[in-house]
Parts: sequence; structure tokens; C-alpha cells
Amino acid sequence: MIEIRDLTKVYRLNRKQMAESHTKNPNKTAVDHLSLTAKKGEIYGLLGPNGAGKTTTLRCISTIIKPTSGEIWVEGCEVGKEPEAVRNRIGFLTSDIKLDDQFDPDYMFRFFGRLHRVPEDVIARRREELFDYFGIREFAHKKIRELSTGMKQKAAIAVSLVHDPDVVIFDEPTNGLDIITARSVTDYLRKLRDEGKLVIISTHIMSEAQKLCDRIGVIIDGRKEAEGTLDEILARTGADDLEDAFFQIYAGRKEER
Amino acid sequence: MNGIRQIFCKEMARIFRDKKMVFSVFLLPVIVMVAILTIINNLAGQMQSDIESHRSIVWVQNEPESFRAFLEAAGLDCDMETVSSPEDNEKARAQILEGDADLLIEFPEDFDQEIAAFREGDKVPQVKTYYNPSEEYSSQAYQTISTGALEAYRQTLLAGRVGNADAVTVFTVNSDNDEMVIQDDEKASGQALGMMLPYFITILLFAGAMGIGTDMIAGEKERGTMASLLVAPVKRSSIVLGKVFALMTVSGISSIIYVGGMVACTPFMMDSMAGMEEALNLRLDPSQIVMLGLLLIALAFLYSAVVALVSVFARTTKEAGTYIMPAYMLVLVVGLLTMFRMGDGRAADYYIPFYNSAVALQTILSHEITLAQYAVTLGETLLLGGVLTVIIARAFNNEKIMAL
Repeated sequence: MIEIRDLTKVYRLNRKQMAESHTKNPNKTAVDHLSLTAKKGEIYGLLGPNGAGKTTTLRCISTIIKPTSGEIWVEGCEVGKEPEAVRNRIGFLTSDIKLDDQFDPDYMFRFFGRLHRVPEDVIARRREELFDYFGIREFAHKKIRELSTGMKQKAAIAVSLVHDPDVVIFDEPTNGLDIITARSVTDYLRKLRDEGKLVIISTHIMSEAQKLCDRIGVIIDGRKEAEGTLDEILARTGADDLEDAFFQIYAGRKEER
Repeated sequence: MNGIRQIFCKEMARIFRDKKMVFSVFLLPVIVMVAILTIINNLAGQMQSDIESHRSIVWVQNEPESFRAFLEAAGLDCDMETVSSPEDNEKARAQILEGDADLLIEFPEDFDQEIAAFREGDKVPQVKTYYNPSEEYSSQAYQTISTGALEAYRQTLLAGRVGNADAVTVFTVNSDNDEMVIQDDEKASGQALGMMLPYFITILLFAGAMGIGTDMIAGEKERGTMASLLVAPVKRSSIVLGKVFALMTVSGISSIIYVGGMVACTPFMMDSMAGMEEALNLRLDPSQIVMLGLLLIALAFLYSAVVALVSVFARTTKEAGTYIMPAYMLVLVVGLLTMFRMGDGRAADYYIPFYNSAVALQTILSHEITLAQYAVTLGETLLLGGVLTVIIARAFNNEKIMAL
């Protein structure tokens, strides 16, 4: 389970960033008092436009960056107090995190397995399973720099799951993938959910969120504006689909400001 | 420990699985260095033999008969031109200026008669020579003829005048003293290497860590691969130590290959070093080997930590390369300072970071270091490396520095 309590993340901008953002305020609030709970056996989707704070929230959960205030609990471990324990329980994937392109997927898989202290026989078994599922076997010994975007993404997904984590956090997992690869990724996320794992994804693709997520949190300007199942959100907004619902929520937020 | 080991193994694999990198990191510098030194040595040797084989062109004014006879008897082979007019004298000077002639010797008129008729109180005849120090041939002719042959010619004439030259010799210096050298053979052995080794070792250790180190940290940040390590369940300090130890190993191996390569190729590179065998022949006793080994490990740790520290604050390898240059210059200067250091040095030298290790390397080789001085140097080097490692680990926790 993941429980986020009153999470706030404020970035300090340098002069160049202030000039680029046309602001004189050196503080940029990326996430603003966000609270949410995601439970095992569900796919929770963070839905929002670019810059809404989805990725920042996921990075705070994965301990890559520290919250300015608030608490995040992952499977009973607080990210600030037990970062290594949190990292051992999650599989995290984002487009900013890349695999060393001098190695092949096979080496990277074994390397991260060992870093997670996974026994060698388990690594071999997981390798069989994941490489077969994502069709990595055929390029398992090719250097990552020689792989296509889709192949790299498949390899990165497999590597992030080497230790069979209870919590899977994927930031825009189908971004840049062709339709077939994207489908295999979403199918695997469903499989993980069905196995009782918690999957959190961020996305700005409405159709993906609508089809994939059991619950959705709509984030705009760092704040959670709506949360619930697809039906709950549609009922609340009176919209026919998630896209219309999102735009109603978005318009409401802009009117408030 | 698992994290440190895995990161270390990965970094080692990154280098040793890549044949191009192995070649460029370990072999290319040695090949380039040996090639450059060999070329320089060959060119210098060719120049020297060219100068030595050159037949000097010497203009002589008022040449006395005895001088020509003396030169022939002395076996000095040169082309003699006679200055028979003021125009010839001008011509000779112009040729020397242009490098077409090498030396002009002006004897006074009737030199032989003046010497023969010399009486006490008479004006001493003066022989004037002119040469061009900018020209190698001219300088060589000046050395051989003006300071060498003319001095011998003077001694010959003096002997002719007084009958026995020894009568006017006040003293000689070391004319039959075969035991003039008093030295400690142990200290003398490897004197040249003792002077050069600290310089080369400090530079090579740093240079070995520099190229790989910037890529290992700043490069990983730049490529986005560092973040994948930061989400793994290992302590930041384990990542740092794994990388620093890998850097230490690379810089250590590259230093051994560089030094070994240079020593192995010395006969090809420096055939002009004949007679310097004793100075190049380094003899080490077991205690020296242990002291050197421990200090080199500590030094590799410190330099690797410095390179890692600089790299962690850089966003790209290019930026890291720029930041690291001042540190490299510092190491170069420290190495140079030890090359020209005299005597045992001050006790305070062993407290100055970086400099102390270079001084200690030198004084270990010359048996001059005390155990206390060695302990201070080793302890300080390790402590400083440790402090830098802690700072790097803190920097790894800083999301702004890590560009996350």
C-alpha cells in the first residue's frame, strides 16, 4: 500500500529558470498538499496535463527526490526514514531513468538483480519469465545503444521488475511505444494487478487511464482535484467519458484561480 | 558491502568489456609516450651525431705556422680559410652570422716571432676568436677549437718557452685521483628514478583516474543512467565507494602499465643514457616496498576521490573535464616541486596534503623518511580521501547536484 499524506514539493528556481518561467518567484510548487492512498491489487492512475506534478509525486515515492513537507508511506516504510527499504519494495520506471547503453539487457538484468540481493537462481527464473513475455530474448545480448526505443523500453521494464516488487510505479509507461508494445506493457500491468500487486502509473493519455486504471487521481497544478473509479468521476462530473470529465475538472480549477 | 561490490564489478566490466576503452585507457598513452620519447631521442641523437661529424669551417687571420702544425698533430680535422685582407675578415664575420662558417681566429701579426722574442714585461699577445652561439656548428667549433685546441696550443708554446711545463704548474685537480667519489651506494641507486618516480606516479595516478572518473560519474548523470542506480536499494555511500574503488583500480593499473611500459622501453627511448645505469637501477628492500605499496593505494584513493568529487558537481563530462583541469595542474606543480626538492626537507612538508605524499614517495626511495613522518602522510592521505568520499556521498543525496 502507498499512503501519501499532505505531500508538498517546492523547487528552488535559479535565475535562468525564473527567466524561462517568466516569474520573479524563486519557489515553484510542483506538488501542493497532495494526499492519496493506493492499495494492493489495484492500478492507480495519476492523470494530469504536462507539468501537473505527476512525475514529481512518483519521484518522491521512489525516494529519488525528497518531499519539502508531508509523509509518504510505502508498505509500512516512510520514504525519508527508510529509503533503502522503500527502494527494495518498489519497481520504478520513468523515461528519465535509462539503462547504461554500454551493456546489454542481459547484463543489466543480472546487475540490478544482484543489487536487489535476488538469489542467482531466482534471477535466472525471472529472466526467463520476463524476457519471454516481452520478447527480449532475441536482443538480450545486443548493446542497449544498438536497440530501438521500444526494445529499450521493454528492457527497462524487465529490469525494473527483476526483484518482483510488491509496488510497481511506472511514469508514462507506454510513452513512445508502438501500439503492439504498448499493449503488451498494459497487459502485463493488469497481470501484476491480478497477482495482488499495487501498480501506480502516471499518464496524460485519457483512453489509457480509462481502460487500465481501477482508480484515478486527477492532478492539476500540483493539487489533487478529483479521485475515484472511472464511474465515480463520470458520475461526479456528469460527463460521458474521462476526457470530458477531465476538461470539466480542469475548467473548474482554472475558474477557481 | 554487496552494493559496493556490485557497483565496482559493473564499472570494471564497463571498462574491460570494451576493447576500444581498454586500448585507449591503458595502452594508447604508453604507445604515444614511448613513440614521442623515441622520436625525440632519435632526433636529438641525429642532431648530435650531425654536429659531431660536421667539418668545421674556420677562418684564420695571421695564422702562425706552428698553429697549423699543431692542429695537424692534434688530429683536428677542419676546413681552414685564410683571412688575407680586411674584406676577408668582414666576409668571415658575415659567414659566421649566416651560419656558413663556424669560427674566426685572429692571431696578432708575427705571432710566432712575438712568442719567441717574448721578454718579461712585454705585452702578452692576444688571440681573438669569434663565433655564433645561435648556431650549433659554430658553438661546437668554439668548444673544440677556441677553448680546447687553443688551450692545448698555449700549453705547448709555454712548454717550449720554459722547457718544462710542470715548472709553471701550481696545482692540478684530480689528475690521478680515482677515488674522488664518496657516496652511499644504497642512496645513490635509483637516484634518477627517485627524483622522477614521485613526479610520474602522482601525475599518472591522477591522469589514470581523470578520464574514466569524469565519465563514471558526470557521464552517468548526463546519460540518465545514474538515476537507475539511485532507485536501487543501496546506500548512496555504497555507490560512491564502488565507483571510487573502481577508479582507484583503474588508475593503479594504468600507472603500473605506464611505468612498466616506460621502464621496458627505456633502452629504445634513451640510448643516450649510457653510463646512467646506477642512477636508473632502483633497489628496494621489503620495508620500502610495503611503505610504497600502502602509500600508493592511499594516494590512488585520494586522487580518485578528488576526481569523483569534481565530477559529481559537473552536469556533463565536458564540464567535468573543465573543472578537473585546475586539480590536474595542482598535481603537476606538486610533482614538479618534489623534483627540485633538496635534502631531507622540513617536518612540516609531511603535513601538507598532496605535497606530503609526493615528498614521502621520494624520501622512502632515499631512506630518509622516519616512521612518524610516514604515518602522518599515510594517515592524512587516507583521512582526506575519506572526508572527500563523505562529501561525495552527501552530494549524491542532493537532488539538485544530481540533476534529478
